[in-house]
Amino acid sequence: MFNVEKFVKEETDRLRKCLHGKAIIACSGGVDSTVAAALAKEAIGKNLVAVFVDTGFMRKGETESVKRMLEKIGLNLHFVKAEDEFFAALKDVTEPETKRKIIGEKFIRIFERIAESEKAKYLIQGTIAPDWIESGGGARDRIKSHHNVGGLPEEMELEIVEPLRDIYKDEVRKIAKYLNIEVHERQPFPGPGLAVRVVGELTRENVEIAREANAIMEEEMQKAFAENKVSKPWQYFAVLLPVKSVGVHGDVRNYGYMIALRSVESVDGMSASYSKIPHEVLDKISVRITNSLGKKVNRVVYDITNKPPGTIEFE
Amino acid sequence: MKIFVVDNGGQWTHREWRVLRDIGVETKIIPNDTPFEKIKDLDGLVLSGGAARIAWESSKLGNVGEYLDKAKFPILGMCLAHQFMAMYYGGSVGPAETPEFGKMQIDISRNSPLFSGLPKKFIVWESHNDEIKDLPEQFEIVASSPSCSTQAIQHKTRPMFGLQFHPEVEDCQHGEEIFRNFIEICRKHAEKRKA
Repeated sequence: MFNVEKFVKEETDRLRKCLHGKAIIACSGGVDSTVAAALAKEAIGKNLVAVFVDTGFMRKGETESVKRMLEKIGLNLHFVKAEDEFFAALKDVTEPETKRKIIGEKFIRIFERIAESEKAKYLIQGTIAPDWIESGGGARDRIKSHHNVGGLPEEMELEIVEPLRDIYKDEVRKIAKYLNIEVHERQPFPGPGLAVRVVGELTRENVEIAREANAIMEEEMQKAFAENKVSKPWQYFAVLLPVKSVGVHGDVRNYGYMIALRSVESVDGMSASYSKIPHEVLDKISVRITNSLGKKVNRVVYDITNKPPGTIEFE
Repeated sequence: MKIFVVDNGGQWTHREWRVLRDIGVETKIIPNDTPFEKIKDLDGLVLSGGAARIAWESSKLGNVGEYLDKAKFPILGMCLAHQFMAMYYGGSVGPAETPEFGKMQIDISRNSPLFSGLPKKFIVWESHNDEIKDLPEQFEIVASSPSCSTQAIQHKTRPMFGLQFHPEVEDCQHGEEIFRNFIEICRKHAEKRKA
């Protein structure tokens, strides 16, 4: 079995040996990067500088809560507001691989700026096994370019260090629990955030629709957990589809977008089956999404695809 | 016990490594162009799947053919490697009539040490575009699904097994037990070789 104590000890020792001087760590507030940050902090202490980038694709209320959480761990935190930069770079881009690569490159350029001002040579990332496996390379086909691996620009100045490269989400959660980091129960949220939960073009309006739909789904699911109506899935979220369909709102024709709800059971993200959520819960989510998003969304569908053939996220 | 995983570019190569490691076997992922000389003293070998279309891209399998020829230890081939085995020994492989992705039920039709202690029917996880069309006479079918008759095969005289499905993924039922059975096969073989 995976030996948490041994892993933590060996990895902190290794980090201590390979990091000479200052390093920055890319933190999203998710379990992977937070655990990587905790290991790095243990290894090099004050030489670690954490960077959180607000891309504009975060969930509702996320930026504030992540900031609080990272400060609580005692990380020296740089907070970068880059919403305008990301939206400008992604204007009119619809192809998902291009989107992911632009996002990957933007992240790196921001990290390089901070590294320069901090005189740091290393970039620590919370990359885990599925990120590099799915990004492909050599004999392996590319399924999607994870922003932190396949999305990296070819030329970059920082040396990448990835303490969690050979492990999976369930193992990262065990480390988080062992280190007493509060994120271990959090569901996965991809680095590009809501940018990959809006299929096709990213406008501020579309991202806002996806943000609201995700918030509603999360709230309703949490209520359902509390009432024991559904057991907590591995991951659950809402995706805005760039497909319009006809609805009727107060005797008037409406032509609005579609939201797909996705919820899966998995251990490591490398295979998954869709969650059997009771209709009662789906019904509540659907009614709330269509009512609160008004004319923008008039149809909600539930994704019943396993992985394979689907992937968990849509892009 | 030392069982390595040969990487043919599969999405789940690293999963195979992880299942072996979690069971407590000494394991490592190696590229498929590793010279046989370097792995000749192993107790067993798992050959991963991959995206190559074997009928016209068999060169992407590196030295796997040489491993099949020379290995004295048991071999378990997954998906692409399972198809490669059939082709290498004179069978044929081509696009599947019904490619299978994700959930599928298999039926075990013949006794095999690989499925020892397992039910006759269970749910497995699939991901393949090709399938074995003709099985060479050295092999026999052990399990089938409604859309693919060669879900599991074994060599009639050598400790060589092939699986079209993926016991290494978490969603596959009895996956870890299949690995444990393979490890047991390797252990018995190692004892026999030493005796």
